[in-house]
Amino acid sequence: MSALPNRRVEDWKYTDLRNAIEGEAVASAPVARWSVTLSGTVEQNELPEIMARGTHGEMGTVAAAHAKSGIFLHVGKGEQGTVHLELSNAGHGRALIVVEEGASLTLRETMSVGDFSNIAIEIVAGPNAQLHHIREANADGESVRVSDYSIRIAQGATYRAHFADFGAKLSRTELHIALEGEGAEVHLSGVSVLGDGGHADVTTRVTHSAGNAQSTQLFKLIAGGKSRGVYQGKVSVAEGANGSDSRQTAKGLLLGERAEIDLKPELEILADDVKCAHGAAIGDLDPESLFYLRSRGVAEPEARALLMRAFLEDAVAEITDEDIRAEVWSHVEAALAELTA
Amino acid sequence: MLEIEGLHVAVSGKEILKGLSLSIAAGEVHAIMGPNGSGKSTLSYVLAGREGYEIISGSIRYRGEDLAAMAPEERAAKGVFLAMQYPVEIPGVTTMNFLKTALNAQRRARGEKDIDALGVLRLVREKAKALHISEEMLKRALNVGFSGGEKKRLEILQMALFEPALAILDETDSGLDIDALKVVADGVNGLRSSERAMLVITHYQRLLNHIVPDRVHVLYGGRIIKEGGKELAHELEAKGYAEIIREAA
Ligand SMILES: Nc1ncnc2c1ncn2[C@@H]1O[C@H](COP(=O)(O)OP(=O)(O)OP(=O)(O)O)[C@@H](O)[C@H]1O
Ligand SMILES: [Mg+2]
Repeated sequence: MSALPNRRVEDWKYTDLRNAIEGEAVASAPVARWSVTLSGTVEQNELPEIMARGTHGEMGTVAAAHAKSGIFLHVGKGEQGTVHLELSNAGHGRALIVVEEGASLTLRETMSVGDFSNIAIEIVAGPNAQLHHIREANADGESVRVSDYSIRIAQGATYRAHFADFGAKLSRTELHIALEGEGAEVHLSGVSVLGDGGHADVTTRVTHSAGNAQSTQLFKLIAGGKSRGVYQGKVSVAEGANGSDSRQTAKGLLLGERAEIDLKPELEILADDVKCAHGAAIGDLDPESLFYLRSRGVAEPEARALLMRAFLEDAVAEITDEDIRAEVWSHVEAALAELTA
Repeated sequence: MLEIEGLHVAVSGKEILKGLSLSIAAGEVHAIMGPNGSGKSTLSYVLAGREGYEIISGSIRYRGEDLAAMAPEERAAKGVFLAMQYPVEIPGVTTMNFLKTALNAQRRARGEKDIDALGVLRLVREKAKALHISEEMLKRALNVGFSGGEKKRLEILQMALFEPALAILDETDSGLDIDALKVVADGVNGLRSSERAMLVITHYQRLLNHIVPDRVHVLYGGRIIKEGGKELAHELEAKGYAEIIREAA
């Protein structure tokens, strides 16, 4: 295996994998094992080695090469189901999830396995399929975790996903998303809440290859202690993908001198008739708001947590499933309480 | 209840209050009037404990305690309330949730039990009704997109809810229409009691027709240059600041 991605590679500028783990440890990592909980009409099979050939980044390609076996989840035409996916053993992992025409799937993913994990997940949403994907990655200052998603969205289908990351020694989430059919939609949102020693990198690559497709992205990052939050998002609108509508927002909240946030939204437009907007901003907690709350009796740590919660509000609100949203909120609030303790 | 003595306060290195003294006993309502930039809001912020207001010398005692040594939240729990001249907008926090959080935070700090969500809702609804604050407003983000008058009314709603021992109203009447002024004044008068004191900062005699003060102070250049009974407000209205300042010099 060639050298691990490091800060000299443009896409990995803020996430130096070579510095976080030995090349040997990556090469010798075992095949990861999944724990899967299903309900509704979802079929689960062993993933044949020849399948799953999405557009992955460097590490996704490595995962696909190492993980001889994986899982294959399938929701048939018009069917409905829910899946809870979790790695039970770290290592290189592979999964393929296919949601056929008109089918719908709620996919929950939790990440709490330690050590080194490197997973490649391919998701295929057929025409008019509906996918709601929520991933939560716990706080773990010891582990190195890389997740690389390749997602294809057919005409009229919607992929809606939320990524909550509470920070690892190194945490990289890479999303390669192709809007392949007319009217396809992707709605990405996420929160990174990082305490001392935490790192979380969300890198998205969204390509509008068909017309009248819509992509929205809303990411909020909070970095406290010595931590680093990264968002890099590139939206490309291919030639002829007219009527594309793309919005991209990333905001960071820095809690101290030693925290760092890097936001890099990018746009590449080759079509004529498109609507695109992107913005990024980094700030700290507003002292006037803090004083207002304190003058009404809210103690400082609680006031800070309240303002941070407010900062994250619209990103978490993107989770449409009420129960899951409440659960994510409870984890976010616990992380905020740690940050303000 | 409140004794301020020889107070000198600097903001960003600039001295704003220059030897201010003021005493308010329980049961009293005092008014402070004074031209723009004389230091009225500075005084109110110092009393509420805003950062960046450096007390160079002098003392502030509240119910016998050193107020300056307390954190803003501690002051609030002990009954100090400031209705701000410019209430702050906080997106992402609904007004109702804010009221519940603040009320229970104060109660907890005093060792009292929390009021549950339903209880707070009932309490807020009852107070809001008297102030003509709609349910819809309570669901919106705190002060975000509220009109000037709505923000002021929300400040008074908080005062009614927290039932402070010392309420400081910084130009709560500015930006209120005539009916709202009456509503707000009724709210203030409803709280008047022998255990409470109020400091009402205003530019207008009009408010003092509704909230009749025991004492009126004229603040100018960071000091109280004149004080008197409620008739002083009428005198100010008639003569204007220039003449009062000349007389005091
Ligand atoms: N942060 C600051 N830095 C420097 N000067 C300040 C600062 N804040 C306030 N001041 C000055 O202090 C003085 C008093 O301001 P303050 O807001 O207390 O006046 P006020 O009496 O409330 O006026 P108004 O009637 O307009 O509300 C003003 O000259 C103002 O410019
Ligand atoms: Mg003022």
